[in-house]
Amino acid sequence: MTELLIDPDIRVWVFLPIVLITFLVGIVRHYVSILISTQKKAEMTQIMDSQAMIRARLLRENGKYLSAQSFSMRKNFFNNEETGYFKTQKRAPVAQNSSAMLTDMVKGNFINVLPMVVIGGWINWMFSGFVTTKVPFPLTLRFKPMLQRGVELASLDAAWVSSASWYFLNVFGLRSIYTLVLGENNHADQTQAQADAMTGAAMTMPQDPKAAFKAEWEALEITEYHNALKNIDADMLSIANEAIAS
Amino acid sequence: MSLNYEEMSWSDVRDQFRKWREESGRHSEDVVQLWIAVLEDKVYKTGNERHLILEQVIVAALDTARFDIATKCTKQLSAEFPGSLRVMKFKAMRLEALEQYDAANEVLDAIIEKDETNAAPRKRKIAIMKARGLRLDAIKELNAYLKKFMSDQEAWQELCNLYLAEGEFGKAAFCMEEVLLHNPHSHLIHQRLADIRYTMSGVENIEIARTYYSQAIKLNPHNLRALYGLFLCCSYLANSKAVSLKRKESQKLAQWALEQAMDHTTRHSSINNNDKWIASLDLAFGNLEIKSN
Repeated sequence: MTELLIDPDIRVWVFLPIVLITFLVGIVRHYVSILISTQKKAEMTQIMDSQAMIRARLLRENGKYLSAQSFSMRKNFFNNEETGYFKTQKRAPVAQNSSAMLTDMVKGNFINVLPMVVIGGWINWMFSGFVTTKVPFPLTLRFKPMLQRGVELASLDAAWVSSASWYFLNVFGLRSIYTLVLGENNHADQTQAQADAMTGAAMTMPQDPKAAFKAEWEALEITEYHNALKNIDADMLSIANEAIAS
Repeated sequence: MSLNYEEMSWSDVRDQFRKWREESGRHSEDVVQLWIAVLEDKVYKTGNERHLILEQVIVAALDTARFDIATKCTKQLSAEFPGSLRVMKFKAMRLEALEQYDAANEVLDAIIEKDETNAAPRKRKIAIMKARGLRLDAIKELNAYLKKFMSDQEAWQELCNLYLAEGEFGKAAFCMEEVLLHNPHSHLIHQRLADIRYTMSGVENIEIARTYYSQAIKLNPHNLRALYGLFLCCSYLANSKAVSLKRKESQKLAQWALEQAMDHTTRHSSINNNDKWIASLDLAFGNLEIKSN
């Protein structure tokens, strides 16, 4: 097969503009999302719950340093059948599809999906049908639909990249550049948002406090008291004995 | 601390400030002097860290009663973040330092109203009560606070101190245990808990105290206070009505603790011959006895 020679104008007017456009759109997305995102405010009850959970967890982990009476006093405070903290605190289950969550979702779609559709469509329309560049290694035919979207030429070598595919490569490949320019945790990269949407992580529900309380209650219930300082007196005594003997 | 203000460049000062912030040391006088000498004109160079430095300087300035500096820095911050609750807190702290407690309380209440999950203004309100000498009110308020923010170990420690000042040792011990749960590997907390238990007295409490002193010594063998505490506990138990074997063990432990303590004091003391000091102390205590009679 003879080598293709690409017009330098394609480099200047197709290849570079696509890189530039994707990059700038990412930057704009970052600032727009900062602009329209609202800071999530924690509820008072949420904070109370999490603090109580931390305290119960610490009691489970470090309760061995307390005296037996102090430990059971605290355990009783959390786990008593009638008056225990985990038994008496009634929390309403988290309301799903509340209006706040809905606006969040709309905003998320607004920032992520809309530009993707609009810019992608525009690029496809504007720069369609160009062969822009070539990857410097041979590829099998299977890569053709991936790298040559918009240019369906059966005889073209699979290493050539079409303009539409070049756009998608940029969308997915600019992440590290964004990190460099905007710092960690930026909102410019839409692949992250898409991955979140797939796994449902983008809409993490606040944990159901009732279930969390029950789990903590169970964990605490099966925790038995072991005195970590039980042997300390004997240890000290043996040290003292050695010191006196020597 | 001797710092050569003349030779420090603004980046040295920035690093020094950062170190103090990370260690949460206040070094108020040093901070204010370095601020005036070096950093005040160069602060715009520090970028985003500027805001943290300004906050640090405000607190230091309030500590050293340099209200002019505090006001200036607060104004800079509030010009940049109008309506910020964090800046409002500093305004309240300034009022506090000026002893205008009612005005400070009003500001703090306004902050809590805007953001009820904010712990800092609640703590400041309790601090105001303490400064006014309303210890019982402070205890009540701190208890209410701890019902909401259960795992705030600073608050537990403060409540412990307040209870100690009131002589409520049982409750103080409870608070100290809570601090111990947060940080079970600190010898100082073990030692403090033992101190409280020893003060409560009674064989049971003193046995607990002995256990905690032992743990403190195990964690840090150079803790002189814990060694002396162990000695006191053991000599108390040696003279109690326990089984004779136990009494003998206590005796031995007391002897060992005393030896260790003596060892540490003689090794680290810069006074070679302390007979003179002991004699004068004897005299002083002798006088005391005469007076008390």
